[in-house]
Amino acid sequence: MVPKKSYSIEKKQARWGFAFVIPSLVFFSVFNFYPILNAFYMSFFNRKALSKAPPKFIGLDNYMRLFNPETASNELSFINSLKSTMVFTLGTFIPLLILSLIIAVFISQLSSNKSKKFLQVAYYCPAILSSVVAATIWMLIFDPRGLGNQWMNILMGTPGTDHRWLVDPVMEQVSTMVIYFWKYIGYFVILFITGLASIPPTIYEASTIDGANKWQNFWRITLPLLKPTVVLVSVMAMLQCLKTFSTQYMLYSNGAPRAPINVITFNIYITGIQQQYLSRASAMSIVLFVLMLSLTLVQFKTTKSENVEY
Amino acid sequence: MKKSLVLFAVLALLVPSFMFASGAKETVVDENAPVTIQYWTHEDPARTQLETELIDEFMKMNPNITVVRSTQASVKQIELVQTAFAANQGPDMFNLPIEDQYAYITNKRVAPVDYKAAGYADKQDLLDKYIPGVLDTVTVDGEVYGLPLELTNWSIYLNKKVFRSAGLNPETDYPKTWEEMADVSEKLVIRDGDILVRRGFDFRYPYYLNFFVPMVQQLGGDLLSADGKKAIIGDDAWIKVLTYFQQWGPSGRNLGSPTYKNARNLFNKDNNDIAMAHTGLYQEGRIEKDNPAFFNSGEWMVVPFPVFEDAVNDVASCYYGHFFMVNVDSPPAVQKAAWKLSGFLLSHGEDYLTRGGNIIQPTKALLASDTLKNMPYSQVFIDDMNRANMTYYGENSAQIQSLIRNAVESVMLGGVSPEKVLATLRASAQEIIDEQ
Repeated sequence: MVPKKSYSIEKKQARWGFAFVIPSLVFFSVFNFYPILNAFYMSFFNRKALSKAPPKFIGLDNYMRLFNPETASNELSFINSLKSTMVFTLGTFIPLLILSLIIAVFISQLSSNKSKKFLQVAYYCPAILSSVVAATIWMLIFDPRGLGNQWMNILMGTPGTDHRWLVDPVMEQVSTMVIYFWKYIGYFVILFITGLASIPPTIYEASTIDGANKWQNFWRITLPLLKPTVVLVSVMAMLQCLKTFSTQYMLYSNGAPRAPINVITFNIYITGIQQQYLSRASAMSIVLFVLMLSLTLVQFKTTKSENVEY
Repeated sequence: MKKSLVLFAVLALLVPSFMFASGAKETVVDENAPVTIQYWTHEDPARTQLETELIDEFMKMNPNITVVRSTQASVKQIELVQTAFAANQGPDMFNLPIEDQYAYITNKRVAPVDYKAAGYADKQDLLDKYIPGVLDTVTVDGEVYGLPLELTNWSIYLNKKVFRSAGLNPETDYPKTWEEMADVSEKLVIRDGDILVRRGFDFRYPYYLNFFVPMVQQLGGDLLSADGKKAIIGDDAWIKVLTYFQQWGPSGRNLGSPTYKNARNLFNKDNNDIAMAHTGLYQEGRIEKDNPAFFNSGEWMVVPFPVFEDAVNDVASCYYGHFFMVNVDSPPAVQKAAWKLSGFLLSHGEDYLTRGGNIIQPTKALLASDTLKNMPYSQVFIDDMNRANMTYYGENSAQIQSLIRNAVESVMLGGVSPEKVLATLRASAQEIIDEQ
């Protein structure tokens, strides 16, 4: 007779825990893990979207093509996409991080709860707008006859000047940064507000009794205790910026030139969907994945600190 | 316990591999069994209304056939159909512009026409019904792979009021050459500093294969050599047209730009925004719908596509087609039903012309009909079509169009010289041709 197995409470709980995790694991497998593996595998072949012929194994050709220095002079090359992505990420992620923190601190310090809630909702609204609505709003602003030129000309006293929002390569990059900043700042403000709310008010009370002013409170208490949130927001903001797509797509669809805003994700879309080179696009997505992973690890390493305890 | 958990986790991760590795579609051979046709097409409210009526009638005549008609914006439709086919889940019947659709033939994704099911005695009977050459586009190795839903070309719509307000006589002063187009536009524009408040004319960005390539052809250049192996023929012609666009843009004479609202939509509003727009016969229906007072006012007219003063070829804007095609991987009974539906819809050519979005199905009967001839300015379109070529179509046409777009935007907006842009365009286009 086989002896009946007995399980400890921890093991029973672990089994239940695992049961609850299964749905998300399956979801992750289907929608994230499998596509990553498939893209990696596909990147060594020459598959085209409509072709029924079995794809041919071509080794590292797709990767060599992406980094071929001879293509660097072509403004639509992958090397230039890397540059565009870096310009966009640095130009968006740093202001996003700093300004969302400043706005969150400002909102947290408001005494009126109504004002706090109103500002939180107001900042968060653009994040839930659909891309189509956002496109319509920003095209009205960036149209040469639109609000962008009108406001700038009133502010700068330059009537009749076209600031070439979507024409000049630098202005076009700035336009994508402005749109992205507008769309996502509210999201990061909410994250910072949540982080700020978790700091016990007794610490501020103690420091005030010790004679600290608001400026000292911010630098000596708020910022150090907010470090985990800062790391979280900086990683999330950076990854979001590296994955940017819809803003560039929106401008391109409305007549803006592609080259200055040809970020990696947009290049993947053009290569895989419009030009049908699925394997080449897969190689690009793997490079983007490695880039995001590496930058995230670097960020974690450089900002690593002891856990914050109150 | 740990080992079994790890094993379970690995199995869970592998679930999609098994799911996606499943086999092909089952084949249904019973032709009398109920079938459902998934028909994907682009949005066009007028055509939707007509086709909904026609499909209802078709389903009453064929009770075993159900038609599910899905529409998407035309740009989205191109991507959706391609993505669906890449995943072997393409619709049973669809239409796209031929420059995007041709790749489905070369990649053997679509079935040859079932002549009998579509209502023709045989291939010759089908060819006899259409104007010569129109089906050559979709004929490969002697097999016809599509039936034309529409054949469209663009001419120049002109607002007479705007012309008169600039002291011009629309009947005599309309531009016959591209040089005149720029000079007349200069007289028509109203600027607030650098900003164009009213444009004379603007191009049909970003459909460069349809209007830019013919401009190059007028000057003796071409996109490809006769054998199709060499890209960018006739440098002088390309440089001249690129320079023309450089001058047209904000850094030149500042007459227009792709970043302004598209001209054809503004034209309908008659708001003193634009004097001329480049569009098709179908625009008449859209003007009538958007602005009936303007449509009935007699204050608009249509004039031919201009040529350069030193043109060596009299070429008008390209015409392009949308074809009904049928998925070769759909069950045979569904394919047959889809061809039957295509034939039925296309037997209502006059309905499509009058109340289905003013689209022209290029049958001999329709082109000779009084219905077409009586439509305002239809003769201008017919004459322009007679001096036009089919737009460039091939497996790589979308890529080539994207390269030309980048070239034009570089000279027009980016300030790059036409010579440098041409060198980049040639290298990129040649690479695509060589790869093919």
